[in-house]
Amino acid sequence: MRKYWEISKTYMKTQLVWRADVIFNMIFTISKILFAYLLWGIIFQNKESVGMFTFHGMLSYYIVSSFLSQLEMSEGISNEIHERIRNGTFSKYIVIPAGIERYFMAMELGIVLFYLVFDFAAAVVWIFIFRIQFVFTTQWRVIVCAVLMAGLGMIFMIRLNYFLGILTLRFEGIGTFLMIKNNLVSLVTGSIVPLALFPETVTGILRLLPFYYVTYLPAMLFTGQCQEEAVRGLVIIGCWCVLMQSAIQNAWKKYFRKYDGAGI
Amino acid sequence: MNKNQNINKDTTMINTANLVKTYRRYKKPEGIRGSIASLFRREYEEKTAVNQIDLSIQAGEFVGLIGPNGAGKTTLIKMLTGIIAPTAGTINVMGYYPNDLKNAFKKQYAVVMGQKSQLFFELTVNDTLRLFKEIYEISEKTFQANKNYFVQLFGVGDLMDVQVRTLSLGERMKMELIVALLHNPKILFLDEPTIGLDAVASKQIRSFLREINEKKGTTIILTSHYIEDIKTLCRRTIVVNHGTKLYDGATDELFERFQRNKRIKITFDSAVKTMRLRTGGAKLVVDEPYKKEYEVARQDAKALLAELMEHEPKDIVIEEEEIGIVVERIYQEGGNDNA
Repeated sequence: MRKYWEISKTYMKTQLVWRADVIFNMIFTISKILFAYLLWGIIFQNKESVGMFTFHGMLSYYIVSSFLSQLEMSEGISNEIHERIRNGTFSKYIVIPAGIERYFMAMELGIVLFYLVFDFAAAVVWIFIFRIQFVFTTQWRVIVCAVLMAGLGMIFMIRLNYFLGILTLRFEGIGTFLMIKNNLVSLVTGSIVPLALFPETVTGILRLLPFYYVTYLPAMLFTGQCQEEAVRGLVIIGCWCVLMQSAIQNAWKKYFRKYDGAGI
Repeated sequence: MNKNQNINKDTTMINTANLVKTYRRYKKPEGIRGSIASLFRREYEEKTAVNQIDLSIQAGEFVGLIGPNGAGKTTLIKMLTGIIAPTAGTINVMGYYPNDLKNAFKKQYAVVMGQKSQLFFELTVNDTLRLFKEIYEISEKTFQANKNYFVQLFGVGDLMDVQVRTLSLGERMKMELIVALLHNPKILFLDEPTIGLDAVASKQIRSFLREINEKKGTTIILTSHYIEDIKTLCRRTIVVNHGTKLYDGATDELFERFQRNKRIKITFDSAVKTMRLRTGGAKLVVDEPYKKEYEVARQDAKALLAELMEHEPKDIVIEEEEIGIVVERIYQEGGNDNA
């Protein structure tokens, strides 16, 4: 495990190299909250609630959801694998005595841990500045479920992006897959609009997809909503993680022999 | 310093038989019509990059692998390191089938490719070394001993805490070698390690490699386009072209038999007309007012040089024949019995 922890630390260090990146990420977090405050302020001007949300409930949801979605940066994995397979430098990962998928997991953990601190600090500061009456569940069982679900959601996204990355071995270009994934994720994670605003039949379908449990449901659970879905959600996202792992193993077994390292 | 003392010189480190690698590549007819047609009907061709190569390398050997671009050298190294799987044939490296990618196997070799990097460009070399210490599960004692040894050997003590991206190409290559050698690999694969380096940096790298081979007993397989690398380092050379082994034997014998000519470049302060030379067999290949170039048989080089000196040149440079010409000659005349 030490080697993977060292990989995480190495990528944490790489995040600290460029000060502008750190500052802009914080500004981005802050501006998102500011934008949400203004937007929802206008919408709630003449209303007490929208859907099942009060103004402060909506802002709480938005802060948690954008915090989680900002931590989900696994797209870098598919891009890195794709680039390296195409230009023949993927061997960097093949020749070292570490599992390639675990390497990317550790890499992602390092990046996430770094941003976790900064984004959390930015979110807390804004909660105080806007005097948002932060709505947060007090039930420990739900908090534990939400934390586990957010963790599994991230693992799923890492695996999905890793899977899409290694599809380069077969398809050479994965731009279309990434585009479909991104559009689906934006819609289904509820990072744009809370899924509660969709008709029940639509959310019923979305509940079967893993993306529902990446940002949306953990954010809802943290803000004290949809608590009856907590355990079922954990089971579903857990199953998706297992399924995705199996897809990775099959794809790797089938396509790795196609790798020719061409490019340089 | 940890030597690979437990390795007997007679131990076979690498063994391949009838090794073949074929690639499948897409062919598209020229132009927009060809592009549209290829949407409906794709044509592929097979290219044999490595063809029936038999190889046996013993512990402690320093073997040169030469051939023109596309000869199959890098493909062979990729198969030996497990990066790619062979299409046919058998391959055994230190008792492992490389493409199984077992960690135990990967801990016993290192590969340095001149155009690929294991370093983190944003971080310092010390940070990368620390990462590799953990990845290769090297004890703190061995890590410190090896790091100190290589830092001293390469003379890079003052560069360990600067960002890799700010290093020169020569400095970076030294760092790549330190990272590669940190875990005391039994085999070191080097693919064009001196590519793009100036004469001084190349000479330094050669000197380090010789020391590592002699003092640590590391088996080294080196591919290079530079004759100097091969001549000064490798006691044994394997020549490949079109994926086939043409020559496998002593480096001295190879160049004695197949490197027959020298190229003499001569420059003048004032314009000089084409000279009529007494030395037979000298072929004028470049004829400019201030510069002439001759190709001459090795045994006649001394006489030609003496004759050229009579014309009071500004400068004279004597060059060996390039690897490509030597390979072409072996290809035409046949190599040796080991090939």
